[in-house]
Amino acid sequence: MSGPPPIEVRDLRKVFRQTTTGQSVVAIERLDLNIAPREVVAIVGQTGCGKSTFFDLMIGLEQPSGGSIRIGDKSPYSDFDYFRGRMATVFQQDRLLPWRSAIDNVRLPLELIGLPDEVQHERSLSWLKRLGLEKFTNAYPHELSGGMRQRVAIARAFVVQPDILLADEAFGHLDEVTAAELRETFLALAREFGSTAILITHQLEEAIGVGDRIIVFGKSAALLADVRVAAWPKSEYLLLREAIQATLQSNRPDPRLAR
Amino acid sequence: MHREEQRESVLDPRFPRQTLVSILVFAVVWEVMSHLAPSLGIPAFAIPSFVRIGQSLLTITPIDVAVTLARVIGALAVSFVLGLVLAMAMYRSQSLENYLHPLIRILMAVPVVSWILFAVLWFRGVEFRIGFVLVAVCGPVFLIDSLDAMRGVPRELRGMMRSFRPTTLQYFVKLMLPAIVPNIITSWKINLSLAIRVVTIAELVGAVTGIGHQLAVAQELFSVADVFAWTLVLVALLFLLEAMVIHIENRLLRWRA
Ligand SMILES: Nc1ncnc2c1ncn2[C@@H]1O[C@H](COP(=O)(O)OP(=O)(O)O)[C@@H](O)[C@H]1O
Ligand SMILES: [Mg+2]
Repeated sequence: MSGPPPIEVRDLRKVFRQTTTGQSVVAIERLDLNIAPREVVAIVGQTGCGKSTFFDLMIGLEQPSGGSIRIGDKSPYSDFDYFRGRMATVFQQDRLLPWRSAIDNVRLPLELIGLPDEVQHERSLSWLKRLGLEKFTNAYPHELSGGMRQRVAIARAFVVQPDILLADEAFGHLDEVTAAELRETFLALAREFGSTAILITHQLEEAIGVGDRIIVFGKSAALLADVRVAAWPKSEYLLLREAIQATLQSNRPDPRLAR
Repeated sequence: MHREEQRESVLDPRFPRQTLVSILVFAVVWEVMSHLAPSLGIPAFAIPSFVRIGQSLLTITPIDVAVTLARVIGALAVSFVLGLVLAMAMYRSQSLENYLHPLIRILMAVPVVSWILFAVLWFRGVEFRIGFVLVAVCGPVFLIDSLDAMRGVPRELRGMMRSFRPTTLQYFVKLMLPAIVPNIITSWKINLSLAIRVVTIAELVGAVTGIGHQLAVAQELFSVADVFAWTLVLVALLFLLEAMVIHIENRLLRWRA
């Protein structure tokens, strides 16, 4: 196993031109970022600061207006097909296909890769089991609770054993207990399989609890802070939390974060 | 929409009492009128009794029913495939849509009679004429409905699907088509009733088989009973086809709450 490739973001820029008004929105001004293989990174930032746009660029759904994202020696946009089965996303809300049963939703990415039917079935089934859904394999999404649906979505992301996992506010809409439980599951699995994981969140507790690193975005994805959580003893988490909070509120790096 | 619901309710296995009552009242009034007609100065053939209509029903030739049915199903199948393929192409290409959309709107405004006249003037083969008219009338309905439905597929689902990097074919087969099945079924219902009504008019021109042709024959014979009988068959045929579509709908849309 060679492990996931490093991620290199250089001078990344994304501008949206509104077709209706003709105005342009600078979603990402100029972002530089390196993410090492197997790192677990939390991104925090206020609504509208460009987090989801960054993910769209990471996934390759959007073309950068400037700069580049390199994953290993490939670009997720130009080498779109190369990343089939190598990258997976868990979205805010589950985004399951309502006409597919739980197991058929999990199997979707495997179908796209074109694995043999039995392999698809076995793998999907074993992932549903891992996530405690063995009794609900044939249930349709509308028959499942929000937490169960998000479990299916997690299974769907892991089933391809991706190098890179993305989660965009994947647990924010669930009640706290369920959210915490699923977050734990997600991270444990990511570590077990040695994937690089990037989680967008607007909850600081979540960010501090999950990440090796916390990246704080300001307006237009300005890099306000890049915190190595290991540098902070558990006893100072409260301070860390306050410093990040202050950073977000002032849109300026808080001096306490410099260590 | 309201008419659609009413028509479905006729097929309801519970068969609402009001439906039964209204049909019975109509039948009784008709029968009474048929007996009173001569004394009212109305010619007897104009309002035939149900015995007379029953006799006509016995003379219904299944081959004509089958021919008309085959024309409707065949033309709808062609319209469906053409409409869907064009809709997918227009979904993929904004410029293709910009060029074709106005044209299709214009086509949809052309009266059926004009299509029939064009068909007669342009083509010789009877089957081709009938098929042309049906496809010209029903194809655009399939096209516009599926295109609108594809545009209505939630952004979130499209983003999710693309994040797993499907090929274009996979994108349509695994996301777009299943997502628009409810709309496709609605288009089939609309087009079935449209096609059943249009096919008979189209068959009046040149066809020597089919229900439309038999209606023309009945008219030449001044046989109201025959017209009534063939019309009954036509309506029954439509109900039957709609019942089949509803059956398929219930099977395909089991996933819905
Ligand atoms: N497709 C788009 N077209 C135009 N503007 C967009 C588009 N996507 C995002 N934006 C704008 O870019 C900015 C960043 O949005 P987003 O990345 O969704 O923020 P976040 O996920 O951090 O809340 C917002 O101002 C948003 O309105
Ligand atoms: Mg967002």
